[in-house]
Amino acid sequence: MGDVVCAVPEKTSLRKRKRRGEPGIVASLGAAARRARADMWRETLPNAWESIMSRIRSFDYSQKNAVLVPVAALGVGGMLLYWLRSGRKIKTIDMGEGWWGAGERPPKGKEDTSIRPFKIETSDKEIEDLHQRLDRFRFTPSVEGAAFHYGFNSSYLRKVVAYWRNQFDWRKQVEVLNKYPHFHTTIEGIDIHFIHVKPSYVPHGQAVRPLLMVHGWPGSFYEFYKIIPLLTEPAKHGLNEGDVVFEVICPSIPGYGFSEAPHQKEFDSIATARIFHKLMNRLGFKEYYLQGGDWGARITTNMAQMLPQSVKGLHLNVVFVTLEGLGKVISIMLGAYVPWLVGFSREDARRLYPFMQKNIYDVLRESGYLHIQATKPDTAGCGLNDSPVGLAAYIMEKFSTWTDKSFLHKDDGGLESKYSLDELLTNVMIYWVTSSIVSSMRYYKENFSKDPNIHNRVGVYVPTGIAAFPQELLHAPRVWAKDVYKNIITYTYMPRGGHFAAFEEPKLLAQDIMQFVRKVEQL
Amino acid sequence: MLLEVFLVLGTLLIYFLFSKKDEETLPFKDGWWGRGQKPVTKEDSSIRPFKVETAEEELSDLFRRLDQARFTEPLENSFFHYGTNSVHLRKVVSYWKNQFNWKKQVEVLNNYPQFKTKIQGIDIHFVHVKPPCLPEGQAAKPLLMVHGWPGSFYEFYKIIPLLTDPASHGLGDEHIFEVICPSIPGYGFSEAPHKKDFNSVSAASVFYELMLRLGFSEFYTQGGDCGWLICTNLAQIAPSHVKGLHLNMVLVTKLGLSHLLSILLGRYFPGLFGFQDEDVRRMFPFLKKWLHKILSEFGYAHIQTTKPDTVGCGLNDSPVGLAAYILEKFSSWTDMEFQNLEDGGLERKFSLDDLLTNIMIYWVSGCIVSSMRFYKENLQKGIGTQKHDKLTVQVPTGIAAFPNEILHIPQAWAKKKYTNIVSFHFMPRGGHFAAFEEPELLAKDILQFVDKVEKEQLWKKKGE
Repeated sequence: MGDVVCAVPEKTSLRKRKRRGEPGIVASLGAAARRARADMWRETLPNAWESIMSRIRSFDYSQKNAVLVPVAALGVGGMLLYWLRSGRKIKTIDMGEGWWGAGERPPKGKEDTSIRPFKIETSDKEIEDLHQRLDRFRFTPSVEGAAFHYGFNSSYLRKVVAYWRNQFDWRKQVEVLNKYPHFHTTIEGIDIHFIHVKPSYVPHGQAVRPLLMVHGWPGSFYEFYKIIPLLTEPAKHGLNEGDVVFEVICPSIPGYGFSEAPHQKEFDSIATARIFHKLMNRLGFKEYYLQGGDWGARITTNMAQMLPQSVKGLHLNVVFVTLEGLGKVISIMLGAYVPWLVGFSREDARRLYPFMQKNIYDVLRESGYLHIQATKPDTAGCGLNDSPVGLAAYIMEKFSTWTDKSFLHKDDGGLESKYSLDELLTNVMIYWVTSSIVSSMRYYKENFSKDPNIHNRVGVYVPTGIAAFPQELLHAPRVWAKDVYKNIITYTYMPRGGHFAAFEEPKLLAQDIMQFVRKVEQL
Repeated sequence: MLLEVFLVLGTLLIYFLFSKKDEETLPFKDGWWGRGQKPVTKEDSSIRPFKVETAEEELSDLFRRLDQARFTEPLENSFFHYGTNSVHLRKVVSYWKNQFNWKKQVEVLNNYPQFKTKIQGIDIHFVHVKPPCLPEGQAAKPLLMVHGWPGSFYEFYKIIPLLTDPASHGLGDEHIFEVICPSIPGYGFSEAPHKKDFNSVSAASVFYELMLRLGFSEFYTQGGDCGWLICTNLAQIAPSHVKGLHLNMVLVTKLGLSHLLSILLGRYFPGLFGFQDEDVRRMFPFLKKWLHKILSEFGYAHIQTTKPDTVGCGLNDSPVGLAAYILEKFSSWTDMEFQNLEDGGLERKFSLDDLLTNIMIYWVSGCIVSSMRFYKENLQKGIGTQKHDKLTVQVPTGIAAFPNEILHIPQAWAKKKYTNIVSFHFMPRGGHFAAFEEPELLAKDILQFVDKVEKEQLWKKKGE
């Protein structure tokens, strides 16, 4: 019995250590916790055992058997059950604490918790400065036949700059941005920006569900401007998914857009998750829905792991999977030939294979930005904060390739086939007027320099809905998503669309969110 | 990220376990890199003198951009860990505006005779310095020196006099060189290729044509960084013309089972794998000195190999951005410990004038994007997949291994590719930019290498 107890925790931690790769602080704390549990068993057990043994020794033979065998069975069974369940016990991420303002944290004084209305402004000076920089941009001609294979095509960039200089109207776009109410509030020392849109008309008795939507990089709160009306007033837009109506809150991640950038190191997705929980709390919400893609998917996942009781449902259009573990490798190898054996659907197989091409080469080709931002963000962003055209090329390249990989072959990167230049440039302008490109890149370093798997080891138990878009960079089959998301209510293969789902296919995404929420409410 | 690296390494491992080395020469790569169609008429092969010039307008444009630069405050206590620290960058920019004298530096650049000549459709820029005086009966030995990224021909300005006039610098007069430093096409004052696929073999072929055009049938070559690869390719293309190949950097692109074993066990059984104590000191602990370093320092290579036009775009428009990007390398690649300093240790080994002159070459020629494309043309199909990766080098080779070079390759590994290593020395100090930082050490090593080759007439022996 003692052997079983000692052997089991050892095996668990070894397996989990192998899955980990690089050990991190939190990981070793977890290992220490497991060892502590094992120790506890080793101490209390012998005493209990002794008293039971002496009691049993007093019985006669057949009675001994009658007692010992079931007790032994129960004991072993209990041990196994405990071990099995402890591996899957609902754990949460510790909320922790943080201070991100400049300098030392002020002594115990109450933080200003006011919510202040905010309007985006611009000035002649700002526009004049932008125009001067556009005018003096120095182009480098592309090599012949480059299309978008070398990055943003220079000839097309000239056209974009001409439009930006002569037709794009930033003042008009600022009015567009201000059509939804904006606010600022100070949390953990920094100003958090968010928009908060309520339905203009709510029929009597209808519940309005709060929905927090989180953007990613190189996006912003502006990505949600087309989907918001579909969620706050679905009936008006021909969407009638069972009277599901939302009030939408879209914050800017600290360091992005109009949210203040953290002044301290180590501001990661967990700190963001905690801050967004505090935001929702401050707005008076106890339970809410979450939606996200890109960093938003990571942040909302962390939020669900941190305070599951506050999260009614989690909807994602991106699922991050790690390709570690023997099981995954085997399913990758077998899945090409017998997808059904490893739990892949035909659509999964279509999206995953050829594996090396789609998951390794394509990822290597598209992840240069990630590599440099996760290691030298201040270097990578420096020139981009000084050259608006450089910034536009860097950001818009992603809106091309991550919307549809085949856009690489096009001279204009296929950009205007899915978006208008006004929309794309407005997003770029948000990074430009707030000078937030460097702080937005630092987010990569802060998140990748720690143990990357801490998130995946803590399961997500809140009801989850996944919208799998076909042109997303990496496809995560349901069977892999289940490793982390234990409670998948809906998993939909979307018919079209790429990484910037809310921006590109707002109606499809809104419909999927609503049908997910409807299912959750029926549970 | 780790998985990416391991998968690539693993694939290469399996592939190369089944490949065998070849001793054939690398074919010369002819090409046409000019705009549009190759004309029917014969190419103009004249060699035209060239002088770097500047104008008031160029300077006032630069100053306006420096004045209007938008900086982002660094995180507290971040030093150079997040890249170039913007507080220090402000100081550099202030010097750049107020004290750096570009006109004076242009005169410095023009101290050495420069030329341009059209080869394979593009204008090739080069410096050509002859010895000021030669002892009776002695001929100058031609030496082709090739720079890398983010360097330029200017890196050689301190070492040139030590090689063309060694006697005046206390280095004896047995071997005197005439030095040719070209700019790689797409860098500095060499025209950028207008067509795709201009890789290291293309550059080597162009430089080979250059040397022939200058009338040299036998010459020495020296290089580090991209120069390492180009000079290696040149030695593979024309072994009968390259008397000796001297390198201050070596990389191996084929990692086989023996490499893997030596990584795992080399620390404990160095002798078994041909490692010297200094090899062990420089290579281990392996994770820290190789894997972590590759992950933390090679982001630039990853993005330049995949999206050069995107990443270079802003840098050609913001001189401050360009400076931040380039200076970061002159910090980390000179000494990785410099990342812990607030000023990145930049002025410990270089003067700001020198650093800014190199940056200005990229700025005034507008070549940052084309310089980055070289990475894509060489690496886009993968590391170690090209024909030249599979061929060995038989010309006499000398390797100067500097202690702060990014990655240390032991002689045991290098000799699998360079089958005729005549000298391999552990240099006492210095990093990646050897000629720029430690010109005297490098010059001495080149001289002793050439001495060996000449004394033993090694270039006459064909392969080993």
